[in-house]
Amino acid sequence: MSLVVQRSDVSEFRRRFRWIALAMVVLQLVLIGRLFQLQILEGEDNKAIARENIVRRITLATTRGIIRDRNGKVLSASRPSYNLYVVPEKIDMQVVWPKLVEYLGVGVDERARLEALLTTIRASDGPRKSQQILLKEDISRDAVATLRTHDAELPFVDVVPVPVRYYPYEEVGAHALGYMVEVDAEKLNQLRSAGYVEGDRVGATGIERAWESYLRGTRGWEKVLVDAKGRRRPGGEGIIEEPRRVDPIPGRDLRLTLDADIQRAIDKAMRGELAGGVALIDVRTGRIIGLYSKPSYDPNALSGGSGKQVIRDAFRRLYSDPLKPALDKTISGAYPPGSTFKPFTALAALEKGLIDHRQATNCRGALTFGKRTFRCTHVHGPVDLHQAIAESCNVYFYRLAAELGVGMDVIAEMGQRFGLGARTGLGVNAEAAGRMPTRAWMTLRNKGQFRLGFGLNAAIGQGATTVTVLQLALAYAALANGGTLYQPQIVRAVETSAGTVVQEFAPRVRRQIDVSPENFSLVQKALYAGVNSEAGTAFKARVLGVDMAGKTGTAQVSHKLARGAEAERVWYFNREHAWFAGYSPSRAPEVAVVVLVEHGGAGGKHAAPVAFEVVRAYNELARERGPRAGVNNAGNARTQPKPDRGGSP
Amino acid sequence: MIRGDVSPRARDHFDWPLFIAAALIAVLGVVNLYSATSVYQGVRAELYISQIYWLVLGGILGGILVAIDYRHLERLGYAIYTFGVFSLILVFIFAKDLRGSKRWIEFGSFRFQPSEFMKVFLVIALAKFLHDDPRSEGRTLKDLLVPALLTGVPALLILKQPDLGTASIHVLVFLMIAALTRVRWKSVLTFVVTVACALPLIWNYVLLDYQKARVTVFMRPEDDILKTGWHAHHSRVAIGNGGLFGNGYMKGTQNQFNFLPDQFSDFPFPVFAEEWGFAGSVLLVLLYGFLCLWSIRIASLAKDRFGAVLSVGCGAILFWHAFINAGMVCGILPVVGVTLPLFSYGGSSVTTMLMCVALLMNVSMRRYSVVPAPDRL
Repeated sequence: MSLVVQRSDVSEFRRRFRWIALAMVVLQLVLIGRLFQLQILEGEDNKAIARENIVRRITLATTRGIIRDRNGKVLSASRPSYNLYVVPEKIDMQVVWPKLVEYLGVGVDERARLEALLTTIRASDGPRKSQQILLKEDISRDAVATLRTHDAELPFVDVVPVPVRYYPYEEVGAHALGYMVEVDAEKLNQLRSAGYVEGDRVGATGIERAWESYLRGTRGWEKVLVDAKGRRRPGGEGIIEEPRRVDPIPGRDLRLTLDADIQRAIDKAMRGELAGGVALIDVRTGRIIGLYSKPSYDPNALSGGSGKQVIRDAFRRLYSDPLKPALDKTISGAYPPGSTFKPFTALAALEKGLIDHRQATNCRGALTFGKRTFRCTHVHGPVDLHQAIAESCNVYFYRLAAELGVGMDVIAEMGQRFGLGARTGLGVNAEAAGRMPTRAWMTLRNKGQFRLGFGLNAAIGQGATTVTVLQLALAYAALANGGTLYQPQIVRAVETSAGTVVQEFAPRVRRQIDVSPENFSLVQKALYAGVNSEAGTAFKARVLGVDMAGKTGTAQVSHKLARGAEAERVWYFNREHAWFAGYSPSRAPEVAVVVLVEHGGAGGKHAAPVAFEVVRAYNELARERGPRAGVNNAGNARTQPKPDRGGSP
Repeated sequence: MIRGDVSPRARDHFDWPLFIAAALIAVLGVVNLYSATSVYQGVRAELYISQIYWLVLGGILGGILVAIDYRHLERLGYAIYTFGVFSLILVFIFAKDLRGSKRWIEFGSFRFQPSEFMKVFLVIALAKFLHDDPRSEGRTLKDLLVPALLTGVPALLILKQPDLGTASIHVLVFLMIAALTRVRWKSVLTFVVTVACALPLIWNYVLLDYQKARVTVFMRPEDDILKTGWHAHHSRVAIGNGGLFGNGYMKGTQNQFNFLPDQFSDFPFPVFAEEWGFAGSVLLVLLYGFLCLWSIRIASLAKDRFGAVLSVGCGAILFWHAFINAGMVCGILPVVGVTLPLFSYGGSSVTTMLMCVALLMNVSMRRYSVVPAPDRL
């Protein structure tokens, strides 16, 4: 109870307060120094890291251009494929899984397979089970709708749309259009600078490949804000530097010269045949209306969307078939033209002035030259040039080569004038050049030995002479229009996705063939007779109402076993190629048509009917669409020289 | 009779600088908390309001504490200390596991952390001991054995919770108080050598794996940014992102985009530094510096040993908390769960820190010899 202040002795501490204070000051200075380092010295670096933390650049997908036919029908477009993803580790196998299976509507087998897959992944170690895995590709729209409706009941189940290429005409005309493949590592190295990334699909063949850079479009990007967990955050003004977004540019649409309905008609006409190629060309423009190769494949299966397994299977089928469905037989395959070549031999002889077309040769069914006998189809008796072409007499043409000095080089030169034996420059698919053999080439080929007999074969389009279906069609178009050889055209215009024409391609003349109009007229009349005179080789294939001039061909194939074919199929591969080449109508030609039926047999019997069917369909469609369509189809060709020297009935 | 305890004279000596410094920090803390928790929705976004409640409650408790002459505490010193240790033992029995450590005792919805208060109780006990043990010649280690034991018991109990940060604070506070006494040089040397030898043993046998990991990460900060180094890394980046004048209030991207976990309790400083930059963070450091130096000034003016040691002890608590927290967020110390005084959210923390301030105020207001010693309660 003391009121006296009792103070203990604080002298012990006196001098030490200062030291403690000093220690505190020093440590505070250390802190301030560190702050100075972080905020001032390294401030800019840290700002950069902080910005990097929250700003993500995401790519914005673009859409590939649509390919349409001349009338605007869609030949190739993109559609969403709905892929189903699940997280194996998280999905509830007791409650969610049975529901999912029910909504998907999968069968018992598939259910068991998918269940086994999930169970395996769930039991495994490693990160895979905690990540989304692709469970099923391209599920049906109905299933998508059901899954969307029941979304809340299905945790860890996601449906993600992925664009895939879609070809509504499926197998028809697949070669010209091509298909898409996923870029592989090697190709990606070349394409990376063009902005391709893993998983991109790129045109593999056909127009899809040739016009890839137009169709593809350009990806855009956008800078967005994300938080520490990677979730998107709105806003960003003032945080993200401009430009924040570059819009994707959709790919260009292509308007083709092809006609989807014609393609279908060709497919229908070729129904009875196993393999071959057909080309239908506007003789006034060189535009390709129909380009068809058989057997074909389904580009939908190859282009993905229905899963890797489907793609693998489709490719296996594509490359194991001895009929070579992967080969575009109109462009990439070179075949001996057979008798369809005869008009060019005739023109070669006429232009050189070596023959008088009225002078007849007596055909006894064969011509013996040296030690060999060169056969004709049958005994024609006396034939002049007109009959020789119309009735396809080989002996007449053998004699041109053997006795009248129409040598190989002369024939080859005329063939080359018509664009045969040289690439047309279409740019779609790998083009075969074909071959117009010359004396020099034959000599080289046969180890310095040249036999005159080679010339006899060349005169009738046999032996080493090969052409492509497209070349022959262009050559016949030139025959029809009086000597204008066109650059073939398959893409008519490039359009924006809104439909505005960006670039329209006018027909291009490759060359004006220097052949006298009289000689053209002679050949055209003979071609008319080939179809319309009773002795003509294609007479029996004639179809009422189809005005056609043309030439059949039956090309012998070299007798060797086709690789990959079974022994019992060899007879097929030894059979002749059936050809028909012609144009219609005979007086004012619009289209040239060439049909090749591989190993089809006689041209008049197998190829000509197809050609007539195709042209009939063409006429029908032209009628349906009215005269305006016809005018449109002619396009700029109105100013081109018109053949007014058509054949006479 | 509390009212009568504070004489009119003492009231005139209200320590305004101390009060203003503490109040400024607390206000900045609430303002910062509002921004820090703005990234949350719901209850957490309302934390700043709870913080205000805690400050008010702590303020009232502090007011009561100021009214009671600190010399009453001197008499009750060991009793208070014993209560603290007892409550630490209770933690072991009743505490709930929260993120791998037992630190909190719950009473219904109310939760408190005895280890926070223990610091103050320890300071009172140490002050009591040194008050009763005046020496004119230098002390030996043996003379410091009792205070060391007083520190060691709660420190070990806390270390076992485990809570490395708070345990270290106890030791550091003890060391700062010990530095106040006159210790023989030879003893200091022996102590340093002993500690140096003991450290490897502590590393091997006392520290838990996660504690070791934090220290390792501190040594090699960029090793493992995604896991153990995450806090440290993003906290450094946040501070640096502030630059000279900061991104502006509520505009710190590191915080707004959730790169700072625990930004309301252990990491409010990076939030503040990001928004106010070097200028703001230096101001805050200077406020703490002032508070700590002021507490030394109060100690030096104290008229008895108890008041002096008590002030140094409270100053030491504030100082070490501030230094360790700021040090760990800017990467010069390993990440341990130590709060920033009056700035971090947390009832126990805020109350403890306000108790320290109140004790300082208490000593400061009674620094004049004319103030009579109080009667026994």
